[in-house]
Amino acid sequence: MELTLFIIVGAIAVVTAVMMLISENAVHSALFLVLNFACIAFFFLMLSGAFLAMVQITVYAGAIMVLFLFVIMLLGAERLRPEQNPRFPWMVPAAIALALIFLVTVSLAIIRGEVGASSRQIEQPYVRAVNAVDQLEAVDVYLDGALIAENLAYGEASAFTPWERGRYDITLYPAGAEEPLATAKVDLNRGEAISFTALGTRADPLLVVADEDLRGTDRSDALRVTVVNGVRSVERIDVVRGTDPVASEILIDDLPYGAASRPVLITGGTTDLSVFSDGVRRDRLMTFSDRTLTPEQGHLWVFTTRARPDNSFDNVFLSLESNALPSFGGPTSIGLTLFARYILPMQMVAVVLLVAMIGTIIFTRDMLAPRRVFVRRLANPPAELQAPIAPEAASRSSLEG
Amino acid sequence: MEPPEVATELYVLLSAILFILGTLGVLLRRNAILIFMSVELMLNAANLALAAFARQWGTLDGQLLVFFVMTIAAAEVAVGLALIVAIFRTKKSTDIDDLHLFKN
Repeated sequence: MELTLFIIVGAIAVVTAVMMLISENAVHSALFLVLNFACIAFFFLMLSGAFLAMVQITVYAGAIMVLFLFVIMLLGAERLRPEQNPRFPWMVPAAIALALIFLVTVSLAIIRGEVGASSRQIEQPYVRAVNAVDQLEAVDVYLDGALIAENLAYGEASAFTPWERGRYDITLYPAGAEEPLATAKVDLNRGEAISFTALGTRADPLLVVADEDLRGTDRSDALRVTVVNGVRSVERIDVVRGTDPVASEILIDDLPYGAASRPVLITGGTTDLSVFSDGVRRDRLMTFSDRTLTPEQGHLWVFTTRARPDNSFDNVFLSLESNALPSFGGPTSIGLTLFARYILPMQMVAVVLLVAMIGTIIFTRDMLAPRRVFVRRLANPPAELQAPIAPEAASRSSLEG
Repeated sequence: MEPPEVATELYVLLSAILFILGTLGVLLRRNAILIFMSVELMLNAANLALAAFARQWGTLDGQLLVFFVMTIAAAEVAVGLALIVAIFRTKKSTDIDDLHLFKN
């Protein structure tokens, strides 16, 4: 589908470019170029550059092309002279040969250089730690010996930290202790947001790697939820919206203990949440009423239990909310990058624009200045100019008379 | 993440074709306005390649370069068209073959 669209729009782009070149009327050329720019804007959309596509339409197809059309109309230069007796007859074959050489070089580079084979990189994964270990007040979490969370209290999460991609060992220590409680292995890939969630009890701890999806959603009322099951008393749980086991909307189905769900997209709002045991007997394990689910966020929900001194259990629902990352190529992410990393180039471009503006004004002034001097001189001619005019005028009048 | 359906190579190839068409326009046409439009076509072809590589590497740097190229193109068009108008005032022509100053 995408490939078909690419071929169709690409063909339109090439055809309009050729038509622009061979058109005999400059206005037609400009209009073909507008169509070509629209095709490029479409490609920007396909390359997830929504903002660029809009700028392409407004700035290029709008402002710049209007400027072109304006100048063509102003000069009355829309009729192009047929290209005869070229000044450099060898130019045409030379240009075509150069073009072919360039095309062959690019094709060779594409074929031999394996442009598409290089992997996507650079966008870093983010990591954080979440402590939900019963009977343990605080933990330290290390990633290959590097500390990512120190003295993390129960129910707390550390902030998301950017990390290098790769394979790591996570180790969980009780706060300040030497002996590790649990270890796990994790692969950090591009763009992931990983929460190392420590579950279980001090005697039987467990590290769960929950991969959240912090990308923005297309819907303004939706949020993404990742659920970690820390309920030890049953095998598997269901998480539903509402309290009724039958009529409710199931958000997460059949999640085993110590596992993290995939991120699911749900609608926000204020709602009741219930946890049921999955299986033949559907028991309601916990209910949390009137929970506000803020849209356009990423939520990590940890359902677990915590022992009281009298051996009964408290139900615990940790809801960790983080703002969704701005979408790739959207105005927010472009603006953030532009005003953070690219502030100096942007200032330089602004100076260039200013210089261009002043330059245009100076060109126009130079064009208008001689005429103004001329007018003033005619209206009020200096004496040395007046002298020759008078005798000539007199002789003229005598001739006519 | 699954690979995109349209490979980066295809975008680069299309960009190269458009760039070549723009080059041919600059070299072969003799109307200054058309040469200018061909330059715009070349800039757009380069922009397309930049956006394709931005997607390829998953970073925004390519897209920001496109942004800067657009800005510079706007400045260049403003100055260039002012030049063309100024030349048209004196030479009454937008044909670049009429602009030889050193040889009659």
